[in-house]
Amino acid sequence: MAIPIRYNLRSLLVRKLSTGMTVLGVALVVTVFLLVMSLAEGVRKTFQTSVSPLNLLVMRVGAQSDVQSFVQNEQYQTIRTLPGISRDEQGQPLASPEIVALINIPRKDGKKTNVIVRGVETTAFKLRPAIPIVEGRMYRNGSNEVIVSRRTAKRFAQTAIGDTIRSGSQSWKVVGIFDAQGSPYDSEIWADLHDVQGQTRRNTGYSIVRVRVPDASARDRFIAAVKGNQQIKMDAKSEAQFYEEQMGTAKPIQFLAYFVGILMAIGASFGAMNTMYAQVSARIREIATLRALGFSRRSILFSFMLESFALGLLGGAVGAVLATLVVTFVLTAPTGTQNFNTFAEILFNFRISAGLIFSGMIFSMAIGLFGGFFPAARAARLKIINALREV
Amino acid sequence: MKFFHLVWKNVFRKKTRAFLTMGSIILVMVLIVVLVSLLDALAGEAAMGTLGASRIVVQHATGLSNFLPLAYRQKIEQIPAVLGVAPEIWFGGTYIDQRPEHFFGQLSTDPEIWPLINADVAIDPQQLRAWQSERDSFIAGQQLIDRYHWKLGERIHIQGSYILMDLDLVLRGVYKGRDESNIFFNTKYLENSWAGRSSQTGIFFLRVRTADDVPRVTEAINQMFENSDAPVKAMPEKEFNLQFLEMMGNVKLLVRSIAIVVLFTIVLIVANTMAMSARERVGEIAVIRALGFRSGQVLRLVLSEALVLSLLGGLAGVVVAFPFAAFLVEVMKRSPVAPFAYNFRVAPLTVLTAMAISVVIGTLSGFVPAIRSSRISIVNGLRQVV
Repeated sequence: MAIPIRYNLRSLLVRKLSTGMTVLGVALVVTVFLLVMSLAEGVRKTFQTSVSPLNLLVMRVGAQSDVQSFVQNEQYQTIRTLPGISRDEQGQPLASPEIVALINIPRKDGKKTNVIVRGVETTAFKLRPAIPIVEGRMYRNGSNEVIVSRRTAKRFAQTAIGDTIRSGSQSWKVVGIFDAQGSPYDSEIWADLHDVQGQTRRNTGYSIVRVRVPDASARDRFIAAVKGNQQIKMDAKSEAQFYEEQMGTAKPIQFLAYFVGILMAIGASFGAMNTMYAQVSARIREIATLRALGFSRRSILFSFMLESFALGLLGGAVGAVLATLVVTFVLTAPTGTQNFNTFAEILFNFRISAGLIFSGMIFSMAIGLFGGFFPAARAARLKIINALREV
Repeated sequence: MKFFHLVWKNVFRKKTRAFLTMGSIILVMVLIVVLVSLLDALAGEAAMGTLGASRIVVQHATGLSNFLPLAYRQKIEQIPAVLGVAPEIWFGGTYIDQRPEHFFGQLSTDPEIWPLINADVAIDPQQLRAWQSERDSFIAGQQLIDRYHWKLGERIHIQGSYILMDLDLVLRGVYKGRDESNIFFNTKYLENSWAGRSSQTGIFFLRVRTADDVPRVTEAINQMFENSDAPVKAMPEKEFNLQFLEMMGNVKLLVRSIAIVVLFTIVLIVANTMAMSARERVGEIAVIRALGFRSGQVLRLVLSEALVLSLLGGLAGVVVAFPFAAFLVEVMKRSPVAPFAYNFRVAPLTVLTAMAISVVIGTLSGFVPAIRSSRISIVNGLRQVV
């Protein structure tokens, strides 16, 4: 017969301080794990936002990102004529030549990092979900004006409307703030294509060409046409695939989360083990009495495991709540990390998901089970005679 | 000190408990040693070498992605106190495949001037001459050689991604000492096969006579090209290395916050243990108080117990941290975070910091139980015994 769960719960309640400290220990471990993982989750989310499977990127063969790619004007003209591209109302192919340049500018904390300046034509806006200007106005062509994403404006110095962004010989006047809805463009500064070409002295070409295709079969046709064209020697891939490849950015953060999480979880389970051992020795009489009443060794083992499991679960729940509160109310500012494919900073927000909380709970349950096993085994092995003698 | 034996006996009265508590302290020590060393590696501390203070890096003012005219070299060489200037290009190609685990530094340089600038690096003179005399040869850091088991005379193929050409290079030498995560090859190899860029370079690496010359020379270089088409930014090597850490984002803050929460957690766990063992000994403490121990002595006894426990844990933790770190580095070198593994080194200062932290853990966690124990009234305490 099983020992009632109420016995364990009340045992936990009786020693509030020790229970509380053990639970808090587990909770903090889970919180740290979740917070670091929420960084990686933020990166993932950013790379999955406003990514269309029907947008294709034409880049130089071997280039790992748009920053490394280069497309000559003649190549662009050829790409426009390839089959499969959607057309706009005027019958023009929906192909957007884009040039990206890196500028090194200071963040608000004074440290410098690279930011992408993307030069585009109006077609670029047709290929993306709406990118509203939330403050100020759109840039004018040929005036070296730029619009800055909301996240970039929050994180970098001298990026407010009216400011001038200077880097080396480049100089850009900020006239508007845009909201790219959490997509990778939220880490960028946008300007007129020809202005960027002019300021970077790269008048003969672009970085990539982005095209829209109407459906999957047109997509395959277009990709085959690009790869088969020996004259342009270019590579084409979908936006989804392109950003999937950038996902490596989150790897170091994930590594850190698991490294810290696992080590701390073992530490916390040692703590839980201590608590449970102390419980077992403090309750020897109780255990012996239970055994004398006819509860089997297995019920005792199960009962103590359950108690420790409850400790872990409670810690996990507290940790999940703590992490969610911190992410929702404290860590609201965008943060950033280096994207090793572009050498520019990618901005994102901390993000907690149901999947993350689930993995945090798994963590806490493992801590509880591991921490409870040996003490529970000791409790189950007690000899009734010896144990009762302690009374 | 007289009571050290008593403290020692009390620490190990419950062996399982003592070892479990030490176990969690050990884990935290390992964690802290590894995290601090990782930060050091990121900050390029280990890559500085002994001459780092007298080296300067010149890059394009807009950022590393822009190239500089190679002709700047002669002008920089004219500046007094400059011993040598080497152009360097970050090739950024892919070896074997595009996965990040095969990412390492591929740098073009001038092999004639390289040994002067990198005098704090050890290389066999014969190997150096072989590398200098063969245009398509390269030298590699010891750690890279260990990772890929390259043999002298072996050919490797690197596919260009940032620069549009492939490298076919033969290994002629091994260097040891600082930042062993790079390969170096002759700039002329790029000049010959890479049309259009033969008159450009990524950065200039230069060495000046002494560290005192660095501010003056960087200033002179910055001014020299201020109004040209390609303005430059000259900076000490340390600052150059640091900018990569800064580009990584708020890594420092992140690691520090993690460390603080981790410490707080461990203090909680150890304090809980100490409190448990103090609670179990209320009667005993009452007895020794009755024997004439003052409450201050009881406080010191319990506090030293916590200190001994955490110091033992700290010591063991630091000892364990070394093989663990070595193991971790091996694992990392085969993972997508490989680029962070090569310059990993546990500095003596890190070990000292860890030990200091273990003292802090002991004090903080022993404090509350110690005060509580010292306040036990003899009468009430003795009542528990009977």
